[in-house]
Amino acid sequence: MPEELWFTEILNRLFAGPVTALLRSLSIEPKYPRAPIPNALAMELLVFMFLVVAFLLVRSRLSADRPGALQHVFEGVEGFIQHQSHEIIGHHSEGYTPFLAALGLFILSCNLIGVIPGFESPTAVPMVPLGCALCAFVYYHTQGFKHAGVSYLKHFAGPMLFLAPLMIPIEIISHLARVLSLTIRLFANMFAGDMVTLVFFSLVPVGVPILFLGLHVGVSLLQTYIFVLLTTVYLAGAVAEEH
Amino acid sequence: MSPPSPAPKDQKSEDQKSEQKKSLWLQVARYSQLAFVLPAALVVGWLFGALLDKWFHTTWLYMAGIILGIVAGFVELIRTVSRDMQ
Repeated sequence: MPEELWFTEILNRLFAGPVTALLRSLSIEPKYPRAPIPNALAMELLVFMFLVVAFLLVRSRLSADRPGALQHVFEGVEGFIQHQSHEIIGHHSEGYTPFLAALGLFILSCNLIGVIPGFESPTAVPMVPLGCALCAFVYYHTQGFKHAGVSYLKHFAGPMLFLAPLMIPIEIISHLARVLSLTIRLFANMFAGDMVTLVFFSLVPVGVPILFLGLHVGVSLLQTYIFVLLTTVYLAGAVAEEH
Repeated sequence: MSPPSPAPKDQKSEDQKSEQKKSLWLQVARYSQLAFVLPAALVVGWLFGALLDKWFHTTWLYMAGIILGIVAGFVELIRTVSRDMQ
C-alpha cells in the first residue's frame, strides 16, 4: 500500500468501492483495489473544491460600490491575465481570459498546497502537469479551428505547398513537443522543490527548510506565470490573423 | 492653485520602461522554453518512429523519427529567434 495523506485516506475509505468498480468496468485493474485514489488525485480534488468555493464566495459577494478583499484579489488576477493576453494576442483576447485565469489559479493552488503541512503538491506527479498541458493543447487548437475554420490546417503545411509533406510531420512533432516541454518543466521544478526541502529538512530540521519553502513559493509563482504565458503565446499563434 | 502636472515626456519613458520589462519576461518564458523544446522534440520524434517501427515491423523508422524531431526542434528555435529579431 502506498503512503496515504489524511485526505486521501478519507476519500479511499468513502469511495474505494465505487471507484474500483468503475475502473474495472472500464477494464482497468487498479494496483491497490482498497486504495485506488492516489494522493495526487485527492489533492487535485481538494484544489478543485477550494477554487469552486472561492469562486462561489466571490460571486455571492460581488459589489460594485464596496468590493471586498477577495473580490479585489480576483479582479487583480483577472485584470493581470487580461492585460497580458491583450498584449500578446491583440484586440480579440477577452474571450480567452476565463480559461487562462482558471488554468493559472488551478496550477498556482496545486503548486502552493504543498507548502502546507499534511498536503503535497499534485504538480510534483507528472500526470497532473501533463493533464494541464493537454488541456492547453486542446484549447489552443480548438480556438484555432474556431477562429480560422478548416483553413487552420494550412498552418501546418508551411509556407510552400511542395514542402507540405516534410512540414506536416515537423509541425506535428513540434506541437507535441510543446506539450512534453510544458509538462516536464512544471513537474521537474515542483518535484525538485519538494526534494530540496525534504533533503535539507533531514539534514537540519530547524530553520533552514524555511528558506527552501520560501524558494518553493517563488518557484511556484514563476512556473505558474510561465505556464500561462506560454499557453497565451501558443494561443496567439493559433488565432493570429495571418498564418 | 492646481498641482503641477507630470511632464508627458517622463510618463512616456516610464511606459516604455514597463513595456520593455514585460517583453523581457515574455522573452524569458520563450527562451526558457527552447531549452526544453529541443530535447522534447527529439523524444517525441523518437517515440513516433518507434511506434511506426512496431506497426510496420521495420527497424529504421525510429532513426527517421529522431532526425525529424531534431529538425522540428531547430525549426522552433529558428522561428522564435527570427520572431524576436523582426
